[in-house]
Amino acid sequence: MEHTNKSDILRQGIIVFVFLAALTALEFFVAIEIGSTVLLAMIAFVKVGLVMYYYMHIYRLNVQDDNLDRHSYQYKLTTSRMGLWLFLLSDAFIFGGLFISRFNLLGLTGLPLSPDSQYIALTITSVLLLSSFFMNRAEVSMEHGDRNGFIIGISLTILLGLLFLAGVITVEWPSAIRAGVTTSSNAAGAIFFIMTGMHAFHVLTGVIFLSIVLRNGLRGVYSPEKHWAVESATVYWHFIDVVWIFFYPALYLIGKLI
Amino acid sequence: MRRFFTSALMRGLLWQLIGWIVGAFFLTGIRVLMGLNAFVTGQYFFTEPAWVFGGLVGALSYVASTGAMTDWFKWAKGEEVPEHREDPPGWEKYLNVSLDHKVIGVQYTVTALFLLCVGGLFAMIFRTELAHSGLQFLTLQEYNTFMSLHGIVMIVGILLGVAGLMNYLVPMLIGAQDMAFPRLNAFSYWVAPPAAVLLLSTLVFGGFDTGWTGYPPLSERAPLGMQMFFLGVAVAGWASILGGINLIVTVVRMRAKGMTAFRMPIFVWAAIATSLISSTATQLIGLSFQMVMFQRLFGMGFFDSDKGGNPILFQHLFWFYSHPAVYVFVLPGLGIISELVPVFVRKPLFGYRFVAMSSLGIALVGFLVWAHHMFVSGMNPYLRIPFMFSTLLVAVPTGVKFFSWIATIWKGKIEMPTPMLFVVGGIVVFLLGGLSGPPNATVATDLHLQNTYWIVGHFHDTMFGGYIYPFFAAIYYWFPKVTGRKMNEKLGKIHFWLMTPSFLTLTLLMMRVGLLGMRRRVADYDPALGFDNYHLVMTIAGYLIAISVLIFLYNLFVSIKKGEVATGNLWNSRSPEWLVPSPMPVHNYDRPFEVIGEPYDYGLPGSVYVRFEEKKNQSHKKESIDGTYK
Repeated sequence: MEHTNKSDILRQGIIVFVFLAALTALEFFVAIEIGSTVLLAMIAFVKVGLVMYYYMHIYRLNVQDDNLDRHSYQYKLTTSRMGLWLFLLSDAFIFGGLFISRFNLLGLTGLPLSPDSQYIALTITSVLLLSSFFMNRAEVSMEHGDRNGFIIGISLTILLGLLFLAGVITVEWPSAIRAGVTTSSNAAGAIFFIMTGMHAFHVLTGVIFLSIVLRNGLRGVYSPEKHWAVESATVYWHFIDVVWIFFYPALYLIGKLI
Repeated sequence: MRRFFTSALMRGLLWQLIGWIVGAFFLTGIRVLMGLNAFVTGQYFFTEPAWVFGGLVGALSYVASTGAMTDWFKWAKGEEVPEHREDPPGWEKYLNVSLDHKVIGVQYTVTALFLLCVGGLFAMIFRTELAHSGLQFLTLQEYNTFMSLHGIVMIVGILLGVAGLMNYLVPMLIGAQDMAFPRLNAFSYWVAPPAAVLLLSTLVFGGFDTGWTGYPPLSERAPLGMQMFFLGVAVAGWASILGGINLIVTVVRMRAKGMTAFRMPIFVWAAIATSLISSTATQLIGLSFQMVMFQRLFGMGFFDSDKGGNPILFQHLFWFYSHPAVYVFVLPGLGIISELVPVFVRKPLFGYRFVAMSSLGIALVGFLVWAHHMFVSGMNPYLRIPFMFSTLLVAVPTGVKFFSWIATIWKGKIEMPTPMLFVVGGIVVFLLGGLSGPPNATVATDLHLQNTYWIVGHFHDTMFGGYIYPFFAAIYYWFPKVTGRKMNEKLGKIHFWLMTPSFLTLTLLMMRVGLLGMRRRVADYDPALGFDNYHLVMTIAGYLIAISVLIFLYNLFVSIKKGEVATGNLWNSRSPEWLVPSPMPVHNYDRPFEVIGEPYDYGLPGSVYVRFEEKKNQSHKKESIDGTYK
């Protein structure tokens, strides 16, 4: 499963990114032209599958290591991975609750965002997707001892993360408020702000986490063999992306349908 | 005394207060900059957002000042920390941050006992009010606040008690030296005291009158205490979530050699099932409360029908946790019963595999039953039917447990020391709670039983039978493991024989007046209904329970220093923790053990459960900076 050749993995990361970008474009097209919620859901699941397998390496949980020493780094690494994934599962229940609330309140009030909102949303979605791509490159570089690649990748990820936050707070929200969607306008407006806000809060924590990892990385704390902090920051960052893969269609794309 | 006041517990309280005020001033400053009003001329000085923000800052200040997060800050700075810290000898380690799962387990249990007593005190206050029709000494708002606080303080107390049992027992039962993430474990405990402070602070902020369920729209216009309640539950939820994650990983990764899934003790199965619920579903109660909180703070109209919101959505989100939560409370208790019955009847546990799977079965079915609390809420009527059937389905795995207990006791050599008394009491009381459940699950009867004292009687039976009785049994049973001394047997028996008849009187009368039409959560009732005498008897029964608990507490405190010395295997158990001397050494087992037989084969000649290895265990290495050992 795991390739050992670095350029192979980087190429794989690029291919996955191209697929994700194409699926996002397809999603946009489906929402505008066909308007099928079922298709949107299917595309979202394919995207999440790609991210969870190729970027988050979910298969790393499935290892047979009963023969290892319980105090070895390798054994504890898998233990930590399980803890992280259970945390993400737990966190997913918050986002799941918000997601369901969005649909529960869907028929009762409209979400009259401005016509530009589709393009704003597509832009910030692309920014987040691009940041996931660079995060993957940073992790792969770390695994293969390419310190410069790691620093460049993680720095770009942080920049794109900040860009995403700025996009949400200084472009997306004011645009919504100008269109009359405020926190207190109606239930749909409230759910719009809490979903984007909760996601943005996770992006913020992710940026802080990545900045700590970058600082320690610059000081040479991590090695190709021992870099659990890098890996966990990576998986967390991709998890934020996974959440957005569901939130983006639920907030914007289905807006064309109703 | 000085060491008491400089302990992490007391230091935290001080810092929580400071953080609270600083946070409130900070937010007030922001409000001034935004041109909003800074202070309220009424009774609470700060505005509501300032109090809420301050409460959050205060809770975080508490945790940070105890030192539970210090190692994480060091990791963030790129420094190395030792994997384990040795605790000082004596009682101080219980008041300070410790990474030892046994110390944390005791901390949880003592906090739980404290909160259960506080919750019981609230119950005594409003139970006294109810002894006679008419309002005696409480106002309606006070009654509602005590009634609501009784609910939530008991729930948090039970959650912490569950965490205490699981923390203390699970690593020992599976032969691990500690939990998988000792620092996370300490953090999970240390968020509980500030949460308790937040919950009790509602008394100062005008209380709240919604009951522990906090349904909007009432919770939207309740006094400021409502917000502190929401915040307290959210903070206490972190303990539950992180503790659950930690426990699952511990069981999956740190079992002793040879302990396959179907050789784990039943309590470990129960703990896994419990943790699956608490680590996932807890987020939903946090979310639902957060949404009401935001509705109050920012006018967000999730549950406000004027703004197109849906109050029933709150109930869905809330009960999605709060029904499975009752399985969080009872599953460990039922696990304790399955764990102790074979020891005291000297027979193998009947149907081990089925009992093991029944815990998981209850947990998984428990995710699908939440709307049975909402049969009269106005949700779509067709939803009632699937939820009715899924609820009745819970009876199947629960019945499996009862059959197993009865078949295990059947023709056994029964001994009746105090722990076994509480186990049998728990079985009987839980049976009553279980049998009074299906009428509430069935739509036709529930429409009449909803919101009556019948429900109150039902859930007190399930909580006592499923949690309180096994909790007492576990304390009497494992007390010697913690202290090396035994609790007084005679006082324990008095405790049991005083509590059980009183409790049965109380709940059976609750069910009776409920069937006759007594509504729950009301401060007063019409004397023409003729319930005065029933309520008087219930109040007396309540006082007798309180006295029995006082006897228990006296027994507990006296036995720590003066109890009969018991360092050996005094229950004649097969479980590994009893095969080493009490109290338990710091790193549990000096020599690792291997599981070579079935856990509950009592009375079968020649059967062995665990065999201790000869070689000494490896020493602890320093953990790398990268810190996989959180």
